[in-house]
Amino acid sequence: MRTTQAAIEVDGLRQGYGDFEAVRGISFTVREGELFALLGTNGAGKTTTMEVLEGFTKARGGQVRVLGLDPHRQRRELRPRVGIMLQEGGFLGDLTVAETIAMWRGMAADVGRRPMTDALALVGLEHRAGTRVRQLSGGQKRRLDLALAVLARPEVLFLDEPTTGMDPEARRDTWKVIQDLKAEGVTVLLTTHYLEEAERLADHLAIMHEGVVHTHGSVETVVAAAGDQVAFRLPISPEALRARTGDGLPFLAGAAPAAVVAGEVTRVTYTLPATSSPDGAHAALRPLMAWAEKCELPLERLEIRRGTLEDVFLRVVGDAR
Amino acid sequence: MRTDVMHAVRLARVDLKLLGRNQTAMINVVLLPLIMGWLFTVTLGGEQLAGVSMTLFVLTGLPGVMLGFAVFVHLVITFTARREELVLKRLRGGQASPVGILGGSALGALAIWVFQVVLVVFWTNRMEDDGLPGNVPLLLLGGLLGVAVFALLAAAVSGITRSAELAQVAVLPVVLLIMVASPVLMPLSAMPAAIRVVAEVVPVTPVIEIMRTAYVGRDFFDYGGQVMGMGEQWVAALPSIGILLVWIAVGTLLARWLFRWDPRHG
Repeated sequence: MRTTQAAIEVDGLRQGYGDFEAVRGISFTVREGELFALLGTNGAGKTTTMEVLEGFTKARGGQVRVLGLDPHRQRRELRPRVGIMLQEGGFLGDLTVAETIAMWRGMAADVGRRPMTDALALVGLEHRAGTRVRQLSGGQKRRLDLALAVLARPEVLFLDEPTTGMDPEARRDTWKVIQDLKAEGVTVLLTTHYLEEAERLADHLAIMHEGVVHTHGSVETVVAAAGDQVAFRLPISPEALRARTGDGLPFLAGAAPAAVVAGEVTRVTYTLPATSSPDGAHAALRPLMAWAEKCELPLERLEIRRGTLEDVFLRVVGDAR
Repeated sequence: MRTDVMHAVRLARVDLKLLGRNQTAMINVVLLPLIMGWLFTVTLGGEQLAGVSMTLFVLTGLPGVMLGFAVFVHLVITFTARREELVLKRLRGGQASPVGILGGSALGALAIWVFQVVLVVFWTNRMEDDGLPGNVPLLLLGGLLGVAVFALLAAAVSGITRSAELAQVAVLPVVLLIMVASPVLMPLSAMPAAIRVVAEVVPVTPVIEIMRTAYVGRDFFDYGGQVMGMGEQWVAALPSIGILLVWIAVGTLLARWLFRWDPRHG
């Protein structure tokens, strides 16, 4: 993995429409055979980034390379090696599903690719082969779109929100398809706003907000940055607490407590700093236990929750606001 | 280049299949110009003009009208509808190049037009004693140049047309020009001066003049109507071919400038 080449390189990319700068100097690298997820809210600049990498638009600034080629200038060379699933694909509604697949298979064969013969089965649409595309449901159209994107056996696959509008079962099936493709060595760049999707599929991910990448790295490193959460309840008001202990609540591993009073109860939450050591939460708890012992206070409903991608995501979005 | 042609042929075949499934388009594109031709011959037939019967004159002008419908109207609506439905964008994300995608639709339109012209040839042959085209190469060249001009203009006009419904309106000025300011029904010399000025520059005029001359073998460039040999026809057609080449250049620039793959945002 370490020695493999970069399939996608983005360096200082800037892009926008008119006066609006949608992408403001982002950089990331996707290695061959890797699945990279671009996460972000709507309007974060994910699709704009994808459109540059897909070669539809020319970057305003910075450099992008896909398989070592300039996706806009060398689109003709790149086209056969790349599969694209747009956020919203248009179909010729009067063609049947089978005719649509046949047309795309033909076009792939024309450029010398060996197209898949079982693309419809792959996405579970064989039973709809004779149906006019117009009559498919939203989720079925997404699956057909995925079949078209992968049918020429691309080396790099761009998936822009591939599971939006799918029911949970179809989403799971689609994840399986994507994972199988990855297992065959396909490099995948996908955008999503489903955190679970990124967490489950991605090797690396980047969180974008307002045109900037705020956090990126392996799923584990990004999640580790969230820090663990320690929460409990004290059956006592803060005033009483201060009267009893003088100093109030302790700091844990440098993290300050956040206290919320509800009647005669104080809810306390700590967000521990990110740490590389797996026993970080354990170590941080020791002074808390000692403090509780000393003050003879019970820590009610004590819980330790591992930081999640959602915590990181919300922090990125929240901080920027 | 070779793959572009293969893609274009493939997409053209899909286009023809889709046309067969769309009755509205079938009527507008294929049937309407034939009905118009029939009406013209019924109302104007019997008279003589520049050495030929009015029926022959009108029928040999009909391919110009068909350029308006089978090529221009059909492609403006196709390109606009497909852009708004994101079909163009999806195709562009596939294996075909822009030339393959747009060329495919143009090729499909060419096929429809050729089919109609063949029908007109049979029709003319039934109505007239000597009703087969004389100079087929020149006839084809004029037709091909005409299809190229109107396909490019269609790409350009689709770029400034927001929806397929509006496309029906956006094409009207061009359709009207073809009907009124072109030598379909009358020679330029018989037109009021103001219309004649327009007729002299619109691209449908040289197409009709080339095709009519090539079909009948008489001079329909200045409507003297005298019989012309093959060589004379080619020489006489040169200025018209020149005008069409200029139009192709203009059409290419307009299409490059105005054509859009994506719907407008907001």
